[in-house]
Amino acid sequence: MEANKEEPRIGVFICRCGFNIGGVVDVSAVAEYAKTLPDVVFAEEGLYTCSSAGLDSIKKQIEKFKLNRVIVASCTPATHESLFQKTCEEAGLNKYLFEMANIREHCSWVHMHLPAEATEKAKDLVRMAVAKASYLEPQKEMELDICPSALVIGGGISGITAAMSLAGQGFEVHLVDKEAEFGGMLNHLYRLQPTEREASEILREAIIAVKANSKIHLHVSTLVHEVSGFIGDFDVTLQTKNSNQSERIKVGTIIVATGAEEFKPTGMYGYNESPNVVTQLELEQLLRKGELKKPKVVMVQCVGAREKTGRTYCGRICCHVALSNALQLKKLDPNIDVTILFRDIQTPGEDERLYKETMANCVNFIRYDPKRPPKVAFKADGSSTVTVYDVYLGAEIELESDLVVLSTPLVQHEDGRKLSSVLKVPLGADGFFFEAHPKLRPVEFASEGMYVCGTAHGPKNIFESITQAYATASKASIPMAAKKIKTGAVKASVNQEICVNCDACVVSCVFGAIEASAFGLPRILEANCKGCGVCASECPTGAMQLRHYKDDQIIAVIKALFRSEKRTETNESFKPVILCFACQWCSYAAADLAGVSRIQYPPNVRVLRVPCSGRVDVLHVLKAFQSGADGVIITGCLIGDCHYIDGNVKAKERVDVMKKSLRSQGINPKRLEIGFVSSSEGQKFAAMITDFVKEMEKLGPNSSTPKREGEKLVQDTGKA
Amino acid sequence: MYKILAKRELAPHINLFEFSADEVSAKTKPGQFVILRIDEDGERIPLTIADADPGKGTIAVACHGVGKTTTQLGRLKEGDFVLDLLGPLGKPARIEKFGTVLCVGGGVMVAPLHFQAKAFREAGNNVIGIVGATTRDHLIFLEEMENTCNHLLVATDDGTKGHKGMDFLKDLIKETKIDRVVAEGPVVMMKAVSDLTRQHGIPTMVNLIPIMVDGMGMCGACRVTVDGKTLFACVDGLEFDGHQVDFDELLARLKVYTPQEKLAYVFSEQGERN
Repeated sequence: MEANKEEPRIGVFICRCGFNIGGVVDVSAVAEYAKTLPDVVFAEEGLYTCSSAGLDSIKKQIEKFKLNRVIVASCTPATHESLFQKTCEEAGLNKYLFEMANIREHCSWVHMHLPAEATEKAKDLVRMAVAKASYLEPQKEMELDICPSALVIGGGISGITAAMSLAGQGFEVHLVDKEAEFGGMLNHLYRLQPTEREASEILREAIIAVKANSKIHLHVSTLVHEVSGFIGDFDVTLQTKNSNQSERIKVGTIIVATGAEEFKPTGMYGYNESPNVVTQLELEQLLRKGELKKPKVVMVQCVGAREKTGRTYCGRICCHVALSNALQLKKLDPNIDVTILFRDIQTPGEDERLYKETMANCVNFIRYDPKRPPKVAFKADGSSTVTVYDVYLGAEIELESDLVVLSTPLVQHEDGRKLSSVLKVPLGADGFFFEAHPKLRPVEFASEGMYVCGTAHGPKNIFESITQAYATASKASIPMAAKKIKTGAVKASVNQEICVNCDACVVSCVFGAIEASAFGLPRILEANCKGCGVCASECPTGAMQLRHYKDDQIIAVIKALFRSEKRTETNESFKPVILCFACQWCSYAAADLAGVSRIQYPPNVRVLRVPCSGRVDVLHVLKAFQSGADGVIITGCLIGDCHYIDGNVKAKERVDVMKKSLRSQGINPKRLEIGFVSSSEGQKFAAMITDFVKEMEKLGPNSSTPKREGEKLVQDTGKA
Repeated sequence: MYKILAKRELAPHINLFEFSADEVSAKTKPGQFVILRIDEDGERIPLTIADADPGKGTIAVACHGVGKTTTQLGRLKEGDFVLDLLGPLGKPARIEKFGTVLCVGGGVMVAPLHFQAKAFREAGNNVIGIVGATTRDHLIFLEEMENTCNHLLVATDDGTKGHKGMDFLKDLIKETKIDRVVAEGPVVMMKAVSDLTRQHGIPTMVNLIPIMVDGMGMCGACRVTVDGKTLFACVDGLEFDGHQVDFDELLARLKVYTPQEKLAYVFSEQGERN
């Protein structure tokens, strides 16, 4: 145990919250109890600690008793922690020396009819907070300067739009494209619906504007070779494709607008075998060049999309593209026979009109069954017969065809995949760039200062791409306009002495916040660190720690919880004591909501707040069982909703691994559980806890010291 | 049973063991490895051989206490025994007269690299050695490398001794004609060295120890992708062409069992660290 530099002098302020806490919990008893705890030099109860009188008292007692740690036992830190922290700071105490015990949402409101149990629980929660407080350390928050220039990668319509928008706001922009010409995918399109304007025409205007803008620095035939640094201070190396010359630039923000490419359906429907089988994009080029004289055209939808594995996604724009091109063919010559073989026609919004217009122009539609896909047979003259099972007719139809057009989805290109590792930002299962949150943060990467728009993020039409491009420009301008950002102090830190340079932390960090130095020493880019603590839990030796949630701090809380002597071990009155690790986002909020909604659940559980369920280390779980926990439940955000991308998935993996091995320690694996809730699922949280408590009651007390109680071990680990 | 004749602490948690192993020592060549098992319930771990003395019938291995088994091994003393010492396994490193050979070693792997450096010197090469570590206290085999190499350079990540980081290598490669590079150390180090030498076209060998099970080419756990082909480190290596190795895949594969490894360590140490 490391001694802090100064002896802890802890003050505990316990709030009655009127009747909210005081009506259930014996607050005076808790205050008296707090006085008996180690390092506590002052404790008092108050009617409303968050009132100005309550806050004044905190400041006064800090001065009078020379308090260097302050605990408020009241409501949820989600709403009041910052207020109390500010109060501490006003009294000259670093805000990281403040700790909260939630005895309202997690206690009085959820055990309204059990005053005795609620009081005991409140004492436990205060004791846990006191234990943590002894280990708290003052922290310094960082302020970063933001370089007011942006890198926009990709000079298609998305990239051009984002660059123009940022330049219009007065920021310097570096616009990079791998091709010799800007314009991206629009270079290859024909006429755009519903305006009928040629894509090249729109593009020409946009490119002229971008070239004329003095704020925009253009880099063509250029790749982003290397990126290091963090928001406000990215160090970017650009490499020219042909000459291999490199240039280094400094930017504050990065926008990814690298687009996508059309999937080439090699080996499907005779593509590559015959020049008369083309993709929609290839058809548009034929149309543009005016090289098309094919009286019978068959289009096949969903080629290489909506598959069982791999490209499982819908191409999203292919229906629009097929309808639009079918119409172009009809306008070229009404005698061209066009048949569209589809699985489902999806035409939301404006596209419905296009669909109707296409039907009015005598385009045929035949629904096919993906289990019996159409077949193409070639004849000697280059034409072909397409055989399709018509779902509605319930019979096979043979179609003569001069040209087969395949509608294939957009896919990520090789350069996009490479860029993902250069930027250290993730790709989703579909291969496209993966945003921080599908609903709440749709154009940001989880790593700060980096954004994504357009088809780099998934199939999109031009309207959607441009809208996203404006969104990224707006997002990127926020830190650049502010010129500075402040970051919290809950960051990873490494102890070089015991680091074994295995780089588990480097691999585990999804934010690119940890880099391996030449000989493996992890280097933490604090600006990139989000404070999830996953790296600390992956570290084999404990060299990697998360400030404010270090192993010794968490273990102190765990040990304090099980220090109480009042364990009753007779089976009839057995009351299991359960530790619940709750991530500070959804699961803690769900527990709060259960409180706010007054959903009652058994008082056996004590919540320990961690930044992310991924911070929960096997060491913590083992310590809990060794200290006397009857059960441990870890709660995290719903899978896919983790605020740190996949911390909850890593927690689940860890739990699965532990469950297999707990028996060897004489612990029934049922004593460890993991559950996922959203912040709106107070009911589910309460139900989860209730079920878990019932299960633990069935299992009986945890007797996890196998050497001492051989017989009980069999009973406890038996296949119940 | 194989007896530990000598144990020397090279750095905190890094030990050099000398084992009595007649038959292994008679056949060992630099670049080969053994699979060691401490006792009947023990995990089998691959360790690259750091020296062999057929006259005395001994081999040496260096081990860094990182997880359960390596920590357990670190606790053994002179006179203790381990159950199995299977080897020598793998192909010997290619030792010839190349001219000037640059040997880049990092962390615990400097010990087996020294074995190769010695052989290169004996084969008539001009040997330049680089001993690197995260920090000063973790540098090992400085004296041995100093005696073996024609020229020795030292580097640490934090700059507490010698060069800071690996930037100096860029200048070294530009200023000196180097005919072959051998790198042995953390994967990130071998990757960085290979990336650097690729630009200059200097043949570069790296020594890979992925996760291994049987060590004889049967299980496929140690597979690595080299030039697009799947190879087994245990029978095709440990030495591979650094310019062709898929290091990112190797890094990812090495971390597959991180939760299990940590769990085994925490359980075996009962949560007590250091």
